[in-house]
Amino acid sequence: MICAGIDAGSRTTKVVLLDGDGCDVVAAGVVDQGIEQDALAESLLDRLLRERRIGRKQLGMVVATGYGRKLISSADSTITEITCQAWGVRRAMPEVRTIIDIGGQDSKLLRLHPNGTVGDFVMNDRCAAGTGRFLELLATRLGVRLARLGELAGCSRDAAVISSMCVVFAETEIIGLLASGVLPEDIVAGVQASLATRVAAMTGSNVTAPVVFTGGVAMVPGMEAALSVAIGQTLSVAPQPQLTCALGAATLAWGRLNGQSTPT
Amino acid sequence: MNDQPQRITLAEWDSRYAQLRAGGLTEPDYGGPLGRHVADGDVRLLKLRMDNSPAALRLWNFLLSEEDRLHRSAAEGKKLVGTMKDLGTVPVMAYSLDNLVAFYPDGAWWLPCLLGGGAGLLEIADSLGIDDSFCPVRALLGAFVAQSRFPIPGLLTCSVGATCDDFSAIAQRLESLGFPIVWWEIPHRRPPDAEEEAVELPGGFRAPAGQVAFVRSELGGVREALEAYAEQPLDDRRLAEGIARANRVRRLLADLRQLCFTADPCPLPALEMLIAEMLAIHFCSDHNETIHVLAGLLEEARRRADAHVGVLPADAVRLFWVNPVADLRVMNLLEDVGGRVCGADNMFCHALDPIPTDLPPLEALARMALADPMVGSAVERAGRICAEVQRFGARGVVISRIPGASHCAMEATIIADVIRGTLDVPAIEIEVPPLTDAIEPTLRTRLEALIEMVRVGRGIGDWGFRIAASHRPLTTSHYFP
Repeated sequence: MICAGIDAGSRTTKVVLLDGDGCDVVAAGVVDQGIEQDALAESLLDRLLRERRIGRKQLGMVVATGYGRKLISSADSTITEITCQAWGVRRAMPEVRTIIDIGGQDSKLLRLHPNGTVGDFVMNDRCAAGTGRFLELLATRLGVRLARLGELAGCSRDAAVISSMCVVFAETEIIGLLASGVLPEDIVAGVQASLATRVAAMTGSNVTAPVVFTGGVAMVPGMEAALSVAIGQTLSVAPQPQLTCALGAATLAWGRLNGQSTPT
Repeated sequence: MNDQPQRITLAEWDSRYAQLRAGGLTEPDYGGPLGRHVADGDVRLLKLRMDNSPAALRLWNFLLSEEDRLHRSAAEGKKLVGTMKDLGTVPVMAYSLDNLVAFYPDGAWWLPCLLGGGAGLLEIADSLGIDDSFCPVRALLGAFVAQSRFPIPGLLTCSVGATCDDFSAIAQRLESLGFPIVWWEIPHRRPPDAEEEAVELPGGFRAPAGQVAFVRSELGGVREALEAYAEQPLDDRRLAEGIARANRVRRLLADLRQLCFTADPCPLPALEMLIAEMLAIHFCSDHNETIHVLAGLLEEARRRADAHVGVLPADAVRLFWVNPVADLRVMNLLEDVGGRVCGADNMFCHALDPIPTDLPPLEALARMALADPMVGSAVERAGRICAEVQRFGARGVVISRIPGASHCAMEATIIADVIRGTLDVPAIEIEVPPLTDAIEPTLRTRLEALIEMVRVGRGIGDWGFRIAASHRPLTTSHYFP
């Protein structure tokens, strides 16, 4: 039987399918989020099943996670993104003790016990300054694609200082910096540093290595370096960092299908 | 009639009420169907799930009829005292005099929740320069100015100093509007120096004898103000009788807490327990009725515990709750996601401790006032919380912040760190505004995640790491096709 994890996030929906041994990912995909969250998730799930020539009847268990998890009609159960993220990361990187996850509209820090269970977590979902939304706004303001931000930041020789703690006011600062002739690459580097600093403030001083970086923002070039500087530690980006949470959900679905108790 | 304990909606309460009445339910004069309070503006009730017992009905009606009770007391010639910020000291003194009725104007902090918004009260506070950077208790300014909620008391007292800077600012603004206040100061409680005489306080705290003497002196000033207002002497005999009556309430609450926080399954919901605890502060303006209400709840809880029935599943996760919530709905939410409250520190634990009876009454009250968890350090408060977490066997802790309130900007973080470091129990912080509808998904995620952490922590999730041992962890190369 196949198990599915659906991560209905605030910006994208992700699906991961695990095989009958719970050990191989047989398909994975991402679509942008929309108003019809359930329909989008179902459509993506159907497409992945079709591409792999897997019938719906072979789908043994579905666990939904993420902000929109309660809306996913095909889910057999729901588990929070906190738990799923930890389990997804542990599948690929069992030694990890700290996860920093920056998504489109929130950011979180998870501290893991040596046995991999979540010790505690901190979340920011009230302030866009520590989330991918800040980068989206920057890209829009500069008229470049998100993927180009890292390339631009790499060209910076003198990162601008973004002093505002609020994205709305930071945008005003960006406009002012552009008007003052500050180079776009220096503004990008400044915004990345500002975002990383916000997240580092949330983590406090107690960040246990090894640290892994997940979430869509982990795929933006330059953010890994900015975050590493901000927390004063080396960190690594998880393989497919946008999909780890869905992988965790699929793993928990596999466990439930095989008669294991799960944390719901 | 279904008498199984459960949490029911207001609509369900309407039919439940009719059934109870048909079955012979007798009520006090403030009784009646809960739905009538919605007509009075308490629309948040429509979003709550409440306990279905007659005892809970009486509790809710008692709480929601306080304004009527105050108006009636004033009409009967009783003298009203507004005891602000103080959590459980001056009301004990006021109720020692037979012609005074004390109430807690700060209770207006729940109005933005109950009324489903500010109902104009917050806008009045805004116009007075007390904006939403302050605690929701600022609604009391609107209540005083509009004179639409409670009768204006002839005497106002307010504790100030180490209590709450937000509230001090709000109360000072109130005084500037022509509402004179009798202020009494409470210092920041500190551990005695080595050479200082130390005094044991309720709750296990200690303070220098000099601080206790200072608070006693301040309360002496309050006593004089109460005597002048009541035109009666407030001698030690009367005070001792008042303390004995207050202790009766506290004993009932202690029994109720012990039973409801330890029995399986949970006999009473968290929402009703929160409101029951609040009665300790000022007796909801009727000391005797408070005793009846609490006795009824305790009897119901005992009946349920003896029958091994409760309002929540037996596997509900045992959590300790820190600070009262500005939106009552959140207590429902905690239970909706699989938790139950086993212990709470709602900022006034000292009002739940017995007042010493082997001391001169004012000395006893001074010691009790100085045991307020909010006037000491956050670390001391965390220490008491840790002891309570252990006492009630809680497996996780929720620290609920109040937007705008600033007893200590870092208090929640300090408490969480102490809990994690001392007990190895997970603790999370949340912030609860008066209406949480828009942020309910994020609150739900935090609470659910805590419950998942506790469940995994007690072994349910061990299998996942047996997988890791028996199967190769996924590697990048075969991670995704």
